[in-house]
Amino acid sequence: MKNFERYAFPIFFVVMAILPTLLDPRWQAVAITFLIFAVVALSQDIILGKAGMFNMGQALFFGMGAYITAILNSHYGWPILATIPLAVLLPALFGIVLAAPIVHLRGDYLLVVTIGFNIVFVQVLQNNLGGVTGGPNGIFGLDPLSFFGTQLTSQLAVYYFAFIVLLLTLWVMNNLEKSKAGRALHYLREDHLAAESIGINTRVYKIFAFGLGAGIAGLAGTVFATQYAAVSPEAFEFIVSVLFFSIVLVGGSSIPGVLLGVFVMFVLPEIFREFATWRYFVFGFAMILAMILRPRGIWPATFGKIPKFLIKETRHGA
Amino acid sequence: MDIFLQQLANGLTIGSMFALVALGYTMVYGVMKLINFAHGDMVAASAFVGLTIYTQVMGQATSLIAVVVIFLLTAAVMACIGIILERVAYRPLREAPRLSAVVSALGASLIIQNGIMLIWGPRMKIFPELVPQVYWDIGGVVISLIQVLILVLSLILMVSLYLFVEKTRIGAAIRASSIDQDAAKLMGVNVNRIIALIFIIGSSLGAIGGLFIGLYYRGITFNMGWQYGLYAFIAAILGGIGNIPGAMLGGMLLGLFNAFIAGYVSSTWADAFTFILLIVILIVRPTGLLGERVAEKV
Amino acid sequence: MAHNELILNNVTKRFGGLTAVDDLSFTVADGQIYGVIGPNGAGKTTVFNCITGIYKSEEGSVQWRGEEIRGMTPYQIVDRGIVRTFQTIRLFGQMSVAENIMSGRHIKSSQSWWHGIVPTLGSRRDEKENWLKVQEQLEFFDLGEFAATPTNSLPYGLQRRVEIARAMAVEPTLLILDEPAAGLNDKETLGLVETIYKIREKGVTVLLIEHDMDMVMEITDYLTVINFGKKIAEGTPVEVQANPAVIEAYLGSEDDDDE
Repeated sequence: MKNFERYAFPIFFVVMAILPTLLDPRWQAVAITFLIFAVVALSQDIILGKAGMFNMGQALFFGMGAYITAILNSHYGWPILATIPLAVLLPALFGIVLAAPIVHLRGDYLLVVTIGFNIVFVQVLQNNLGGVTGGPNGIFGLDPLSFFGTQLTSQLAVYYFAFIVLLLTLWVMNNLEKSKAGRALHYLREDHLAAESIGINTRVYKIFAFGLGAGIAGLAGTVFATQYAAVSPEAFEFIVSVLFFSIVLVGGSSIPGVLLGVFVMFVLPEIFREFATWRYFVFGFAMILAMILRPRGIWPATFGKIPKFLIKETRHGA
Repeated sequence: MDIFLQQLANGLTIGSMFALVALGYTMVYGVMKLINFAHGDMVAASAFVGLTIYTQVMGQATSLIAVVVIFLLTAAVMACIGIILERVAYRPLREAPRLSAVVSALGASLIIQNGIMLIWGPRMKIFPELVPQVYWDIGGVVISLIQVLILVLSLILMVSLYLFVEKTRIGAAIRASSIDQDAAKLMGVNVNRIIALIFIIGSSLGAIGGLFIGLYYRGITFNMGWQYGLYAFIAAILGGIGNIPGAMLGGMLLGLFNAFIAGYVSSTWADAFTFILLIVILIVRPTGLLGERVAEKV
Repeated sequence: MAHNELILNNVTKRFGGLTAVDDLSFTVADGQIYGVIGPNGAGKTTVFNCITGIYKSEEGSVQWRGEEIRGMTPYQIVDRGIVRTFQTIRLFGQMSVAENIMSGRHIKSSQSWWHGIVPTLGSRRDEKENWLKVQEQLEFFDLGEFAATPTNSLPYGLQRRVEIARAMAVEPTLLILDEPAAGLNDKETLGLVETIYKIREKGVTVLLIEHDMDMVMEITDYLTVINFGKKIAEGTPVEVQANPAVIEAYLGSEDDDDE
């Protein structure tokens, strides 16, 4: 297991770095989708897996990032990359404002309220509020990526953009694990009252988790808008949030588990296209079976990330 | 004033359908502390099952007896599916972390929803006209026989359920299991049987709700379960989840609220307003209208 | 105003019609080992919950170092140097002993929330320093060999010790222990008594609820006895043992709470 952890990431990195050169355009597009949805699922993992808050509205923040990029690019002519700061900060801010009044709610209520936010969001998009969202058709015809005036029209450029965003997300999650804030999320998920009683302002950290998860999802939205050069409301329906919710829990809210979940949910159906209509029917059975056999997920997150100097040989093999 | 009375009539009709479906959510939640996400899809499935019973079993008969048989058969079929659902998807996870059961419920929801699609196809079906199209015009307010039927039948079912839960021994066992499963077990209540019973009652009431939806809206689609299920679940929360009269009250209020939004604002914003109402209620009174405040034991 | 002094004045806490704590007053002085005893259901834990901010008492005042702390949240009270343990142990069960103790370093750590996203040299140093503090606690409580063990796989006695170690990692001024000897065997109880003395030597005031009479009489400097939420006696262990009201209310009912 130790060796696995040491080698898995470099191997994953190398494989993902050279992968697109081996793929035809269709599979490149599938690989990009994998990268984008992996980022969204990891952002959901921060809120649901680490902080243990029943959030079923992650598609809202994902969609918000995508729409911010699309609106700024198509209505105001901003280059795609220049929209990133707002596509991260506005969803993060929105996540904080939405979370503030609701984070104290009991788990199931939080779940329904976040579904509600997601549904209201999609309704706002469809009704073309403020005349900028393009209604049910959305916004299309976005510019390709450009970097200091150089246009990067190839799909390969989008792939590496998505890849960099995934690496950035993994880096942030690694930092989180080794910080006071990240541990606070674990503590409050394990035992809310014990966390308060040891000095943790749980409310602040719950809102922090929402803000961070929303910001990362917003960034994934920018990549999504870039890949399709378009955005439309149905890509951010709350059923999409349900998928991300399930991916995190079936995966076990560990990084390999979540990536595996994204692969199964979004890449396998592309391989078995002839069974497309059976897709969700089969997933339904897989979800039930996975939970019965492994209630903590297929690849459960492990704790014990403590400095090596603290680990001693056990005296009586405990 | 005409709009008001018209929407009042419509709201009560929709509200009684929400209430019937909400009862299934609230009873399961009361005992198992689980959101049965598959319940909405069960409701959708029952409309399709009713359709098939009508065409295949009853030979498209629309006599009163035939309609009663369709209702009873559909409720029976859905009750069986409800028992299977509990056995396969929920019972193995009773001791597991809460979220595992939620995922299992979502899985069951996907199975039922896509099962409907695979059997009956992805396109909208038209539900048969089981009840004659009779309308009354009362001073500009149009009320149909279907509306009256839905409202009266729903009220009868809800009152019977209420009396059953409040006045009978089995009802007392259901209430005991909602308050404390372990204590109920110690008092000799067979909790497994109570849970099975709850799925039978919830699924049959949901089935009747589904048939009402078919009768009232006519068009039925495989994925309509989420929509109605979510509304019914909100109704259950509004009333105070786990609380049976609360689900009835919540359903009626939500139906009226929706009808008035559609009448006075716009139906394109109905979802948004409904959820804003829910969020406001949860912030102001997190346990719902009839729910009790529970302090955490330390 | 004396330093490090906890004063309860006329504290009353009701649940619906039930008065769990009734007009209770007592003072814990700096450096004491102070005991609160009483029969089951006397309201002892509720008193602690009122002091540590889990409940807010309806009436009265709770003063710490001359500051009113009634109505503050638990983490604000921890920030002022009061830390507690729980009668039903509340550890972060899936996490290791070291991580559990590290939670006590939360308020001592200088990291901001954004260091969780982008670390700095300062935050890395802070991280290291706090893990070294955890190491000190591991050694003090002789838990070094279990550093990486998830706490829910430890025996009960060790879990109690981890909970106290976690509280001590906060470097509290006042440590509140809710039945620390519950569920311990005689040998473990002796170890606990030693530990409590060692904690006091560090200058920490200790306030505890305990059922184990022998232990309470041995280690406490001063006692308050409550029954039905009301104070029925206070004094040194010797005085309390001789008080007829205590003998009647407490010792007289002993045969029906011997679980």
